[in-house]
Amino acid sequence: MPFSTQFAPTSQEVGSCIECGLCLPACPTFRITGLETASPRGRLTAMSAVLAGQAIDETFTEMMDGCLQCMACETVCPAFVPFGRAMEGAKAEIAVARNSMSIRIRRLILGRFLAWRAVVRLATAAAAVLQRTRMSVLIPKALRSGFRSLRPLPIWSSSRVGRTSKPLGEGRSRGTVGLMVGCVMDPWFGQVNDVATRLLNMAGYVVVTSAEQSCCGALAAHDGSAQDARRLAHRNASAFGAVDMVAVTSAGCGAHMKQYEHWTEGGDIFAAKVRDITELVADAIDKGWLPTVDRIAGPIAIQDPCHLRHAQRVVDEPRMILQAAGHEPIEIDSTGTCCGAAGVYSVLQPELSGRLGVQKAEQVRAAGPRIVASANPGCEMQLRQHLGEGYQIAHPIEFYADAIGIMERGHS
Amino acid sequence: MSSALAGELRSILGDDGVLDRQLELHVYGKDSGITRGEPSVVAFPESTEDVVAVVKAAKRHGVSVVARGSGTGLAGGAVPLEPSLILALTRMNEIEVVDVENRSAWVGPGVINLDLSNHTYSDGLHFAPDPSSQSVCTIGGNIANNAGGLHCLSEGNTVNHVLALEVVTADGDVIELGGPAPDPIGLDLRAVMVGSEGTLGIVTRALIKLTPNPTAARTLLMSFRSVEDAAKTVSDVIAAGVIPAALEMMDRLMTVAVERFIDAGFPTDAEAVLLAEVSGHEAAVEAEAEIIRAIADDNNAIEARVASDAKERQRMWLGRKSAFGAIAQMNPDYYLHDTVVPRTKLVEMMRNIYEIAERHQITMLNVFHAGDGNLHPLMSFDASEEGVIERVKAAADELLAICVALGGSLSGEHGIGLEKRDSMGLVFNEYDLDAQARISEAFDPDGSMNPNKVLPSGSRCFDFGRPIPEGTWV
Amino acid sequence: MGLSVLDELPVAERDGLPEADHRLAPTSMDEAARLLDHASELGAQVLVWGGGTHQGMGYRVGPDIVLSCENLTSIVAYEPDDLTVVVEAGVGISVLEALLAEHDQTALLSEVPGIATVGGAIAAGVSGWRRSRFGPTRDRVLQATLVTGDGRVVTGGGRVVKNVTGYDLPRLATGSFGSLGLVAQVCLKLWPLPSTFRTVMVESPEAALDIAFRPMAILETGDGAWCYLGGTSQEVGEQSTALGEHFVDELEWPEPVSADVVVSIRVPPSELRSVLDGLGAGRPYVAQFGVGETTVGLDIGDIDLLPDLRTEVEDLGGALVVTEAPAELYEEFDPWGTPPQTLEIQQRLIARFDPRRVINPGRLPGRI
Repeated sequence: MPFSTQFAPTSQEVGSCIECGLCLPACPTFRITGLETASPRGRLTAMSAVLAGQAIDETFTEMMDGCLQCMACETVCPAFVPFGRAMEGAKAEIAVARNSMSIRIRRLILGRFLAWRAVVRLATAAAAVLQRTRMSVLIPKALRSGFRSLRPLPIWSSSRVGRTSKPLGEGRSRGTVGLMVGCVMDPWFGQVNDVATRLLNMAGYVVVTSAEQSCCGALAAHDGSAQDARRLAHRNASAFGAVDMVAVTSAGCGAHMKQYEHWTEGGDIFAAKVRDITELVADAIDKGWLPTVDRIAGPIAIQDPCHLRHAQRVVDEPRMILQAAGHEPIEIDSTGTCCGAAGVYSVLQPELSGRLGVQKAEQVRAAGPRIVASANPGCEMQLRQHLGEGYQIAHPIEFYADAIGIMERGHS
Repeated sequence: MSSALAGELRSILGDDGVLDRQLELHVYGKDSGITRGEPSVVAFPESTEDVVAVVKAAKRHGVSVVARGSGTGLAGGAVPLEPSLILALTRMNEIEVVDVENRSAWVGPGVINLDLSNHTYSDGLHFAPDPSSQSVCTIGGNIANNAGGLHCLSEGNTVNHVLALEVVTADGDVIELGGPAPDPIGLDLRAVMVGSEGTLGIVTRALIKLTPNPTAARTLLMSFRSVEDAAKTVSDVIAAGVIPAALEMMDRLMTVAVERFIDAGFPTDAEAVLLAEVSGHEAAVEAEAEIIRAIADDNNAIEARVASDAKERQRMWLGRKSAFGAIAQMNPDYYLHDTVVPRTKLVEMMRNIYEIAERHQITMLNVFHAGDGNLHPLMSFDASEEGVIERVKAAADELLAICVALGGSLSGEHGIGLEKRDSMGLVFNEYDLDAQARISEAFDPDGSMNPNKVLPSGSRCFDFGRPIPEGTWV
Repeated sequence: MGLSVLDELPVAERDGLPEADHRLAPTSMDEAARLLDHASELGAQVLVWGGGTHQGMGYRVGPDIVLSCENLTSIVAYEPDDLTVVVEAGVGISVLEALLAEHDQTALLSEVPGIATVGGAIAAGVSGWRRSRFGPTRDRVLQATLVTGDGRVVTGGGRVVKNVTGYDLPRLATGSFGSLGLVAQVCLKLWPLPSTFRTVMVESPEAALDIAFRPMAILETGDGAWCYLGGTSQEVGEQSTALGEHFVDELEWPEPVSADVVVSIRVPPSELRSVLDGLGAGRPYVAQFGVGETTVGLDIGDIDLLPDLRTEVEDLGGALVVTEAPAELYEEFDPWGTPPQTLEIQQRLIARFDPRRVINPGRLPGRI
């Protein structure tokens, strides 16, 4: 069956590829396998074949499933092919065309459960108990190594949604920022959200965490659960309808929300309001709303999440934040190759994901510092898993908060 | 459907080393050119031994072998036209040894051009050929096509930078051509292997000559009211005894397209823009940049300035390197030429290009290696428009004919492949083509290595000269 | 049947030609083609002769016919602005370089050519001393027209400085010793002459290699070592100061090595010093640093040291090649050494250009 849904890659999207191949070396899966079929150009050729009438078969599915959706290809593409969009479309088509049990289960988890706060909290509580009792053998094998690289989880903590916090100090508010707390960020990386709120308040923003917000829908979209992704995008767009800006603490969520134009009516207006937290903090430091530390602290290796560097093209901001905190950012990889986490990729394609993780860990080790800044939860877990003991990994704003003395607890 | 050959290949390379499902074969059906074929199977060797085994297996099954690197060729050199095995060399990408003292390195054919230069950068060395695709293209592909690039004005094409080659022949024998010392004895087979587009054998390892990194460089941006003034500047610079590392020209349509794409600081009202780079000793580049600037002024340059810092220099080159992307933005399709004319014929050739473009109503942009007369007229079009393909083809044929009439050649750096194979008769007579076919025949008597490339069919003429004695036939 | 071509062609008059049944000097490529076609019919052995300066290389040929290039002396085309020149084989290098020098250009052929011809230098594949900076001669042969052993006139390459149209016949012909055909006409890539030259005496050529940025040459002889600079006056001045205080403002090249026996030793550049150390003192030599070639002169009594030296050099991936010697030496000592492993392909190639094997038969390594 060829493409059949409204989400399908269009001939315009696919046809804008001029087949120059400049994307090949940027693509982590091409780099590792040497396969044209595991390259952006190859994947577009395959989409083009389906557009021309070829069926969505097992080969097509494998080729698309191999993609990390890291968007590194978009960064180097001279023809500006909207590869990420086309790939989400291809995934949506696969979900329809090959409606297997495993896809149905995945859709249920990514499209429904993640958006269901109570389910996430229950799972978190269960995982927290297992962490404390060191009973990780009870975790399914595919998830076990990921489980081991989580930060210490709270058994119980109230969700951060539905709160409003006022700017600190004197003066007029600089505006209202809606904070996207995220589905797993909220319970698993709550400290990042707490730090974000404090920094935004310090910078003069009112921060609201609308109770209507839900999972951003990125994982659903990447996995082809297009209808769920639409529903979630619609919900978040209306939840944050009234704010001036939307701050996102997870690069993966932010990248997706900046693409809401593809997922919901009026999504382009919403997307224009979305900022990664590093953009807002760096801007505030730049404008003098947040302090710069004079003290010289140690070097920190910087890892660029693909969804920050390639999808959002946010590169300088995390470095500037670390510098403002007195740290010297150490580059580990000039082209920003994916660490292999890539959302659910690490679970679905453990072999390739593992090879990329090992490669990234080697880059970090070669760089020197045993402290790593990463602005995305998935990357953080992947780094922790592959670096092993002796490395401290946290979000750039956590290092900054620590340096300016507003950190309530020691970070992980 | 898995063929017997695919099965045999799996026993050699493992399941991971063979592709033969329909969609996979379709993906390997073309390179960056415009022609599509369909291979029978794709094999991924990881060693010379693998290549030997694969070549022998293909021979047993009567299937020809088409080598492929990153697939960035523009002339269809890696397109399989008959039942063919694609030998994808991307996994033979090891930089084995870098010999700093002898300024050389043994590398696999799958090593990406820029990866090698990045690897040897800290040793003060680099691989000089730098085609625009250097971040993608492989050394094996560079060797097959005798690739050039921006800097080949002073450094020459790939053939000047290859010391030795390990090659698997059509029979599956492993031979070594050339060597680490100067002037290896006997016929210089290395010289014909480079640029042979995979028709003489498969390069499995190469001893690459590395070039010292320049200690200093200056980049100049010059703009002119006419293409003639720019071309005259090019000639005068060379005549003044300065061979810049690179000397690039862009015409107005091109600079406008680039500026629409990125902000490179190119003047869009000038008819032609020249970019020159001099590199080498600090004292040399300063003086040479001044000579070039003065010559540009003498030739009525609107502006001639030396980049004041590394940032401005990078911006200028980013503009040049974005030409391709800028064109990608204009129209869904393009056709890129690669003709060479003697430098003194540049102006005449450009005049003809504009005339042809106008007559066939095709948008034609020019960005090219002016220093060595290597033109890249680029036709931008939408293939869905009725009749446009015919007009593009007609214009392309006229371009080639004029280029040859001016004493030029078919390709300066992209190769002949499929695309220009049938134009070879424009530059070579039947005796010349027969001689070329004899070279191919000496290496690959059965024509099983990348058949149908480089030479038009029927090039070999058995009526010429005298019969070859028995015993030396194969 | 009328007169054979052997009777029609002008008789060669150049001094120093070897004895043969016929010594002829065709005046055009067509005449050369007729001569070679006839030789193929007869199965005659043809020795091609330019200036005779490289005739010491390779196995000996007992010629029935000597084909002298003395009447193939046209400068076919010279376009200074294109940096290309097209010449016939018999043009003397010194004649050509003098012409090019009028336009401040050079073909970078031998600096001390004597009576050597362009065709001879290309057929023998020899390069000048400036190859360290500009590469070997074969990098500059853009087009070659060969008259094959069976009398076909074939051209490869083109008259443009950058070209990948078809197999690189011009390079293949360079160093082919006529085995694919008489190298009758070539187009060469030229370089502009730098505005300033300097020859600086240096203590250590190895150190000079590190100091100078891509010098034209670094040579060592028994009398000392020199670094040859060319470029703008600023560049030459600064580098010269860094290299040493003794210099002259021109290029003073050493005289070619002259002795009973002259050999060319070719090794990877880093092995050059160990080769020189192994030679011992007292023998004339010119060593090219950064290139790896040394030309050494020996007395006839000294040749006993050659076999061991050759073994050593070949183990390094190099070669020890006789370039000049008395005829009898070629019986005792192989002028080329171990032939390359690709002899079979070389033979197949030669058979397709010279099927009756008439031009310089058996002269190449492996006696092919």
